[in-house]
Amino acid sequence: MSPRFAGLILALTVVVATLWLGATGQLVLYIHPRYVVFTMIMAALALVIGVASFAIPRGHEHDAAANRTSRIISVGALALSAVIAAALVIVPPATLTSATVNTREINSTGVGVEVQSVENATSESSAAFAKFTVRDWASLLAQTSDTAFYSGKPVDVAGFITADETDPTNVFYVSRFVITCCAVDAQPVGVPVYAPNWADDYELDSWVRVTGSFVANPSSASEQPIALEPDTVEPIGTPDEPYLF
Amino acid sequence: MRVDTLVENDHQEVHPHRSLKSRLTWLGIGVAGIAALFVVRAVTAETVDAGLPNQLQDLLTLATSVIVESMPFVILGIILSIAVQEWVPDSWILRVLPRNAFARRAVISFLGFFLPVCECGNVPLARGLMVKGFTVSESMTFLLAAPIINPITIATTHAAFGWDGWVLVARLVGGFVIANLVGWLFSRHNDQDSLLTRRFAAECRLPQAHEHGGARIHKSLELFIRETSVIMPALFIGSVVAGAIQVLVPRSVLVTLGSNPLWSILAMLVLAFVISICSNVDAFFILPFASTFMPGSIVTFLVFGPIIDIKMLALLRTTFTTKVLVQLTVIVGLLAALIGLVVNYVA
Repeated sequence: MSPRFAGLILALTVVVATLWLGATGQLVLYIHPRYVVFTMIMAALALVIGVASFAIPRGHEHDAAANRTSRIISVGALALSAVIAAALVIVPPATLTSATVNTREINSTGVGVEVQSVENATSESSAAFAKFTVRDWASLLAQTSDTAFYSGKPVDVAGFITADETDPTNVFYVSRFVITCCAVDAQPVGVPVYAPNWADDYELDSWVRVTGSFVANPSSASEQPIALEPDTVEPIGTPDEPYLF
Repeated sequence: MRVDTLVENDHQEVHPHRSLKSRLTWLGIGVAGIAALFVVRAVTAETVDAGLPNQLQDLLTLATSVIVESMPFVILGIILSIAVQEWVPDSWILRVLPRNAFARRAVISFLGFFLPVCECGNVPLARGLMVKGFTVSESMTFLLAAPIINPITIATTHAAFGWDGWVLVARLVGGFVIANLVGWLFSRHNDQDSLLTRRFAAECRLPQAHEHGGARIHKSLELFIRETSVIMPALFIGSVVAGAIQVLVPRSVLVTLGSNPLWSILAMLVLAFVISICSNVDAFFILPFASTFMPGSIVTFLVFGPIIDIKMLALLRTTFTTKVLVQLTVIVGLLAALIGLVVNYVA
């Protein structure tokens, strides 16, 4: 392989993948919406310069004589880069899965504690509660486990299914990732749902819309004091914007 | 199909002065190749069911996210690097700098105000500055300071933290101090060239050909090809390693360390090292951790992360020797931890 052009081809592959993601509205699977415009502009610029570079005459390579080991490393690096580049244009875009939820521990870093406060939420209307996302509820659950607070508050949330660590058979989380910059920093948030033997009916990682209300968690094994008792659990497709920003 | 293209290039003979016709042919090949990539992408998105196991899929998603997030900054860095090398008269940059080495590095620390790229874009730019006549230690000061002391980073850090807990001030002062200290340390090295990789040192020694007219555009495109060939593989490898570590190492290990003044600083050093995101946006990333971690630890993350992380080491390796990078990592890590400790105990 010629390392001289490898970089140009790698760059153009990223650029093509990026422009395509942007054109199909899927760039938000990887980066926060606030960077989309900047990313698209730079990708377009790189495309123009990249194409123009094809037209210049090829000069001689001034490569310093490299020893054998470093040549092997650079060939290996190039091969790995080629695999990733191929994956960029061949593997369909995807969201993060429950595997990442497991390494990052759901609701762990206090994400969104400031999103909703108990005092403000007490006075909200039912209509407002119906619009709460899993992040809103997760932030309330982190603040209070007083069942009286949750009674009469309708819940209607969507997310993908991950298993509760302490009672994986009977409790699952309706979860979402919260993104502040790009998918690398995704933090999982979610609310526990009490549904005995849920795995018989729903698949891990599949998207569902759950309605119901919060009650004292009937599961004795689960560490969560409060869980959502579902009225309906309806399978849905992956939303256009799977992450919360 | 990409590999095919690579192989084709390899077999191309070298014709320094090719005719217009052959240039147009190559342009056509380039355009056709790009069109083919678009078609492949659009078709595979509908037809291929990757069916990858979750962990592998997430590794790819995380790596892609680092690449896509860094790409615009890398391109911006390469463009600015080309501008500095080919389009800005030497006198503009080198002549306005003070003669005294300390004052010179201090002024260089603020170059980020005029060349606001984050750390990954900074690598090609620093390479450009070295080719243009910066010493190794001066370029190091620039590399370390510019990602922190630049308008975009200041704006995003301010947007995320305001004036709370000295985070912004400590980040700026910390970045400045570290950059100048490291620049001074490396300036004491006897053989500056030995700090650089052999390939890059050779590049720096090449005489600067004097340009006329259209040759400049030609040389600019030539530089674009050369810089992408160095930077892109490094970016790819760095991103994959960063993604792999995040899939394999539970984040909770770090977060449980958060409230201890010493351990939380070490946890932040590791997190900054692993996460590998650009300095222009890292303040937003770390903001949710502000409630669990002490402010000094946040400062450590914000000072260390822009300079050293997995992706950056891969990028820096294109230019500096491994030994220099190990020294750099240790020095910057210790200094960043020290600054964090001071903030933890004072603020």
